[in-house]
Amino acid sequence: MSRTPSPLSSLAKAGFARLDEARERIDAHDLSAEDFARAADPDLALKTISDLAEKDPPRFTRLWAKTELREALVLLTGASSGLGDFLKRHPEQWDLLEKPLRTLPRDLEYLAIFREAMEGHSGESAAMALRVAYRRQLCRLALWDTRQPSPVTVVDQVARALADMASAALDAALDSARAHHGLSAQDVPLAIIGMGKAGAAELNYLSDVDVIYVTDVPEGADPTQVVRGAESLARDTARYLMEFGVEPGLWEVDPNLRPEGKDGALVRTLESHIAYYERWANDWEFQALIKARPLAGDTDLGARYRQAVDPLIWQASSRPGFVEQVQRMRERVTDNIPADQVDYQIKLGPGGLRDIEFTIQLLQLVHGAQDPAVRKLDTLGALRALSEAGYVGRAEAAEFDHAYRTLRVLEHRIQLGALKRSHVMPRDEEALRVLARHTKLADTAENLVEHWRAIQRSVRGLHERLFYRPLLSAVAGLEDPGVELTSEQAALRLQASGFRNPEGALRHMGALTQGVSRSASIHRTLLPVLLKWLAEGTDPDGGLLAFRQLSDDLGESYWFLRMLRDSSGAAQRLMTVLGTSAFVAKLFGRIPEGAAWLDSDDDLVPRELSSLRDEVSATLERHQDSEDSATKALRGLRRRELLRIALSSMVGVSTITEVGRALTTVSRAFLEGILALARRPDDGVDFAIIAMGRLGGAELSFGSDLDVLYVFRDAGAGEAAHQVAERIVKDVSRLSEDVLFPVDLDAGLRPEGKNGPIVRSLDAYAAYYERWALGWEAQALLRAAPYVGDEALTADFLTMAARYRYPESFREEEAREIRRIKARVESERLPQGADASRHLKLGRGSLSDVEWAVQLLQLQHGHDFPDIRTASTIDALERCEHNGLVSPEDAGLLREAWLLSSRIRTALALFGEPSTDVLPSDRVGLEGAARLMGFPPRSASALEETYLRVTRRSRTVFERVFYGSEG
Amino acid sequence: MDKQRDFVLRTIEERGVKFIRLWFTDVVGTLKMVAVAPAEIEGAFAEGLGIDGSSIEGFTRAFEADVLAHPDPTTFQILPWRGEIDPTARMFCDITTPDGQPAVTDPRFVLKRQLEKAADLGFTFYTHPEIEFYLLKSSSYGENGPEPVDSAGYFDNVPGGSAHDFRRRAIRMLEDLGISVEFSHHEAGPGQNEIDLRYADALTTADNIMTFRTVVKEVAIEQGVYATFMPKPMAQHPGSGMHTHMSLFEGDTNAFFDAGGKYQLSAVGRSFVAGVLKHAPEFTAITNQFVNSYKRLWGGHEAPSYVTWGHNNRSALVRVPLYKPGKGQSARIEYRAMDSAANPYLAFAVLLAAGLKGISENYELPAEAEDTVWELSEGERRALGYEPLPASLDRALSLMEDSELVAETLGEQVFNYVLLNKKRDWNTYRAQVTPYELSSNLEIL
Repeated sequence: MSRTPSPLSSLAKAGFARLDEARERIDAHDLSAEDFARAADPDLALKTISDLAEKDPPRFTRLWAKTELREALVLLTGASSGLGDFLKRHPEQWDLLEKPLRTLPRDLEYLAIFREAMEGHSGESAAMALRVAYRRQLCRLALWDTRQPSPVTVVDQVARALADMASAALDAALDSARAHHGLSAQDVPLAIIGMGKAGAAELNYLSDVDVIYVTDVPEGADPTQVVRGAESLARDTARYLMEFGVEPGLWEVDPNLRPEGKDGALVRTLESHIAYYERWANDWEFQALIKARPLAGDTDLGARYRQAVDPLIWQASSRPGFVEQVQRMRERVTDNIPADQVDYQIKLGPGGLRDIEFTIQLLQLVHGAQDPAVRKLDTLGALRALSEAGYVGRAEAAEFDHAYRTLRVLEHRIQLGALKRSHVMPRDEEALRVLARHTKLADTAENLVEHWRAIQRSVRGLHERLFYRPLLSAVAGLEDPGVELTSEQAALRLQASGFRNPEGALRHMGALTQGVSRSASIHRTLLPVLLKWLAEGTDPDGGLLAFRQLSDDLGESYWFLRMLRDSSGAAQRLMTVLGTSAFVAKLFGRIPEGAAWLDSDDDLVPRELSSLRDEVSATLERHQDSEDSATKALRGLRRRELLRIALSSMVGVSTITEVGRALTTVSRAFLEGILALARRPDDGVDFAIIAMGRLGGAELSFGSDLDVLYVFRDAGAGEAAHQVAERIVKDVSRLSEDVLFPVDLDAGLRPEGKNGPIVRSLDAYAAYYERWALGWEAQALLRAAPYVGDEALTADFLTMAARYRYPESFREEEAREIRRIKARVESERLPQGADASRHLKLGRGSLSDVEWAVQLLQLQHGHDFPDIRTASTIDALERCEHNGLVSPEDAGLLREAWLLSSRIRTALALFGEPSTDVLPSDRVGLEGAARLMGFPPRSASALEETYLRVTRRSRTVFERVFYGSEG
Repeated sequence: MDKQRDFVLRTIEERGVKFIRLWFTDVVGTLKMVAVAPAEIEGAFAEGLGIDGSSIEGFTRAFEADVLAHPDPTTFQILPWRGEIDPTARMFCDITTPDGQPAVTDPRFVLKRQLEKAADLGFTFYTHPEIEFYLLKSSSYGENGPEPVDSAGYFDNVPGGSAHDFRRRAIRMLEDLGISVEFSHHEAGPGQNEIDLRYADALTTADNIMTFRTVVKEVAIEQGVYATFMPKPMAQHPGSGMHTHMSLFEGDTNAFFDAGGKYQLSAVGRSFVAGVLKHAPEFTAITNQFVNSYKRLWGGHEAPSYVTWGHNNRSALVRVPLYKPGKGQSARIEYRAMDSAANPYLAFAVLLAAGLKGISENYELPAEAEDTVWELSEGERRALGYEPLPASLDRALSLMEDSELVAETLGEQVFNYVLLNKKRDWNTYRAQVTPYELSSNLEIL
């Protein structure tokens, strides 16, 4: 036969992608390209149809001659390669194309069809007949589905028909099993309960069918016999449906949701089921039971099962530990997604089907206890019921109904294509194009993906919009179309998300949202998501209270409302810090405007000394006539910078060493201002404050003491110089006082300690150190550093100190003396009853051990290795390592312990326990600190073990390096 | 699990059990118990039973809150020695903190955690202990020390001897408790007995050892004698050891067996032995935890005091025993230093950890000891590289203190506690002036 080759453009117009290949086939079988234009995948349709043409040419020719049949064949083969393969296997089934479905059959109709097909067969051959009959019906359903102009509107009907077909198939297979074993329904009753999607009648084209088997022992029968019989029925029913055979199996029958899962008995009696659920079931099992429905077998027994478990399901939310279990459920929702699939998952992952199902089921569990109206099996039905009963907004219900349907259509079409179970979007352009044609959701691949991403985005906001948003209508009397939530119902919901005092929370929410102010209206929009973020912290109640106070302070501040509204990053950070740190919440009480910094990391970077100094001088300038207002301004500056550093450390902008430096810098600028206020023009003395201890090393933590020495030099005051200096010291401590965030100046490291004069002249220091300097005093001088006051005097002081802290020769007796003191301090300074292994400052292997080890090395080698002369422990340790004074391994262990102890101290201070230097032994404190340090939830024990291990190792190193003892 | 719980509740009903003893073990290895009424048991399953942790050695520090005991239904047994009047049952418990995390100080958890690590590598750990103990006329003693019930030696059949009745009765009770007893014979010392528990996974074995000690003590009381697991109650007689046979299974296959290996010991088995040997000095404070333990280890009578291994060499620390051809599944190694007073949970955990370490780091097995180690001279042993086990609790503790392996296995808190507690033991002991010192010094000095 000769004909002109079809023009490629007509093929392209019909939707073919591989044009040359298509042309070859079209021409070989004398077909026409236009016939394929309606196929979802014209290339696939054509390929299958050419195979069919070769398989049975006369039958094919007859079929192809009729327009409607032609069209039906193209639609079906273009939709599914799996069903195309079925047609190839069974030419005798092609007549199904002549019988399009007008309405979708229900389960009993399907059952009648299957039974008829199995008539006269038994055993294996009955199973094969059933499978062929099932697939025939699947073809008809797929054809009906494919012909719909808008698949999204009918997706629930299709899902129900699939569930009906599955239930009929189970029944038919059970018939066969009964016949095979000769077990009658009277002697051995068996009900097959559908769970999950099968139970909810929202099945996919290729879902596993989750089932539970129930039997009942008839009067006078032997229970063991009955259960054993029921088990063989259950096993064979599943086998007929899924075992390998000439006609492939249909789907997995999965009985693993049964009591005790894989380890439990396959079939239980009704009583045994109930006993299990009453006693042992976990909450997630009740969540699963929401969808339980008699699917096949004994209908009466099935109904009794559902009736019996029903009350149990709806009591779940009042059981202790419910909140905890819900949180774990949520973690399960987000866990276990293979990393390379996250972006392509339709079902799991953010914005997926599972998100919708989770939120809806949670709402059902929370409200279903009181309100039977929301006890629906299927997702869409439940959403509808929740909306009708006023638990969620009408607009939201409509939006998520649409989102759910759209995602399900995508899932359906992907599964129908190859008859494979998959929830992953295709990645290649061609498959996406086919999917777009198939779902009728978009005209191109690109638009389809865009459409899908938009749905995902909206679903990601679903939880706050369905779960939290309706709460507002309970407190604010806000007109949220369709929502009618009482405050009791709202309280239940808050409790389920981790608020311990829902009544209080509702009051705060009321205060935040009531009225006509701008802020109230913005809060009404934002509060749902803010609540969600708060609920993820350790203390949602405290966080909400702090937020309310902050909002009261900031009132109508335009920037604050704008930040909340426009910068979700900043708003989320704000909720996180408020919900985890009592310290920050307290500072916000004073510096509400600090909230603004959360919007930008640049604002969170601690400020440099020079810029702080400029601000301090400007402040002093402005307030030169009033000491009071000047100190107040300086206090404000310090608090503000404390807040900045706290925020910076919590959101991870600053590391622990940067925090130490920043705190030192702030205290320095602050005290410079204070000292300026304390000085008189005619003092007649030079005066300086020398930093000592951790302050000298710039390694402060929140709430650390400031170790200092005061020094002066006569500059004309003569005899009176000492009194003048003493007055300055007194004024400095008076003016720097801050009741809420204390500045603890501590001069305890001065010569003669508490018994010595608080301030000395430089000469007096020199004379003292010359004559009396004890080992520990030289050691304390190691951390002396310039701080505040006269620079020349500071320099002279440090020159004088160098002789003692970096001595030309450091004798072994002196080292021994230091060791002895350390040993005594270890037993004396630890507070009464404190556990040495948990003390962060003075304990085994913690801060002071590391510091003493480093300081001994500095005393011994500081003269010969000038670069180890630094007041910072961490820097000195690194340089000692660099110079080979300590092995890299030892240095690593010491550093790790020092940094970990410092981080825990900081975390505890932020958590709200600034005065403690002990690793908490209560779980709440441990958990709080662990969370602030970035551990995952429930890490109290992990933090404890980590700390004890790290410090044990560092102690071993310390004993070797410091005491020189061998292991 | 849930089936087990059902079974427990049903049995309590059916048998009319009046009390259930909830058992758990403190860090030292003493069995602790709380008795509850049947009505409370359901709650204990669901939420755990609150107990005051501060009253238990090593569980928590005094200022801490309570802990919760969760009965393990798979360990449910009716106790035979109360059968007639008030039927009583027991279950072992897992301990958790009030917020539901496993208590790091629970020895059972220490072992479970270690078994999980083995499971991660695909191994199950099986043990089989041979437990020796003495039967004494009573727990009080005179000038010559404790008085054994009879003076028969190894394998002697003493007609009518109370040891015989005792053994029959004890074995019967153990079997009633579901604990299989493999073999029993009379050990070398007068009044000394040995009962071997059958092979089982290490957690079950450890539970069984705790039960076993209780049963033996109960039966002894019943028979009017006294049973002791003290490592070395009499200087002149052998101590009571707990030789422990160990093997690892990968699924159903014994990972220690290799038909082609020397002594049919697989490469895994060799590395395991190497691990145990290398770390033995560090964990001896766990397997031999009392001052008295070292009197057994260094008191002769076949106790292994040097770190060696051998094939059927009874003087070696680790013995690779002979087994019948074709019985690959029974391939195993025997650790001979442990004594009957060890806390089995902790001891099994450290043995397993050491063996696994040998496997994961591919330790080389040192040369086999073919001589009788204790007959060699000090110099010969040095030349052969046979390291001694620690000679005293003091030495054992200082070796353990530096052991990363033991710290990691026990967890930091149990590790600390054992060190503190045992150092206190040692210090108290050192403060004693013993009869030996008086008799050898007083008259001449």
